[in-house]
Amino acid sequence: MIKRPLFILVLEDESIFSGGDFQNTKWNEIPDNKKIKRLFYSLPNKDYLCLEGYDKYYHLIEATTDLNGKLSGKVRLEFAYILGRREDKITCYKITLQSKENQKIGNIERTEYNETDSFISGLNQKAWK
Amino acid sequence: MATLLSIKCNLVDADVPYNDVGIIEGNQADYITLDLVHDYLIWSEDLEAHLNHDPINDLNEHAVVIDDDAEKLVPECLVFDYSGDWDGSNYYTQLVKGMGENKRFVFCFSFDGATANEPQLEAWDDSDHDSYAKHVLGAGRPANSMVKVVCTTGVAPATNWALSGGAGIAIAGSGATRIIKLNDGNGALDDLATGETSQEVYANIAVVIPQAYATPAVESFILTVRYTWN
Repeated sequence: MIKRPLFILVLEDESIFSGGDFQNTKWNEIPDNKKIKRLFYSLPNKDYLCLEGYDKYYHLIEATTDLNGKLSGKVRLEFAYILGRREDKITCYKITLQSKENQKIGNIERTEYNETDSFISGLNQKAWK
Repeated sequence: MATLLSIKCNLVDADVPYNDVGIIEGNQADYITLDLVHDYLIWSEDLEAHLNHDPINDLNEHAVVIDDDAEKLVPECLVFDYSGDWDGSNYYTQLVKGMGENKRFVFCFSFDGATANEPQLEAWDDSDHDSYAKHVLGAGRPANSMVKVVCTTGVAPATNWALSGGAGIAIAGSGATRIIKLNDGNGALDDLATGETSQEVYANIAVVIPQAYATPAVESFILTVRYTWN
């Protein structure tokens, strides 16, 4: 079975860059000298979320590790975030990776941020691509 | 690659970091790395360190007594070290040094790389991470949580930080004011410097029972670290 990459990028020179998986996303291996033209992000239901037309893109995985309890020590993937930035406005897609009582795997929450919002300003700025 | 987290507790000298921090010399041997599958923390009145058996049956004899006249800081936190060896036993309790005191290097959160934003510590009823109804977590009112935490990555927390009026934050759930950011609010952890294999942030964690609290209970709670990578 062919494993789907976490994301597929079409770069400005029409070359393709394929991401890895949640553990090794390869986001930091995207060439810095090529602008992203289009981004396809693989969703848990096998669809792709497509973003294009942004100046910069950002990706992060959020996980939790319990210090005790029945799941103690496990790295639990909670959310994937894919962000697009146009000038000082940022659109964020938050994708649920862990089912819970009030959330299902694959749910997507779209939020608009300003660059001064704490969620945005607290990001590791080096990973904008 | 995903950034990996390991949790360490200081068992020797809570003035000593895990790795060198500025002019403070570190000593990794002062710390135990928790095996989170088997080890766990025990909050107790006066349970002995160096017990060479599973301490579950001792806990009733060493239960914390609610104080009618003042809030009560649970005086001891021990690591139940499953793999520890003491007199040939596989069980070993060890006292965490500096818990609840004006000490900086007590609970250590070690990351092997950068994070995408600032790691944070949360407390929940259980591993579902969707409720904080237990008495120890404020019985639904997170501001009343008995679990007090202060980030000590940058500085020591000051005397009586865990008691009312101190710098300790009552944590429960994931509300912005009821979690603790582990890098002093300075944001994501940067890439490791050349030659480094990990970077550490620190917290002091205590349990403080309100004065004359009306509901005695034996309760567990979950501490969880939320962190990210690109």
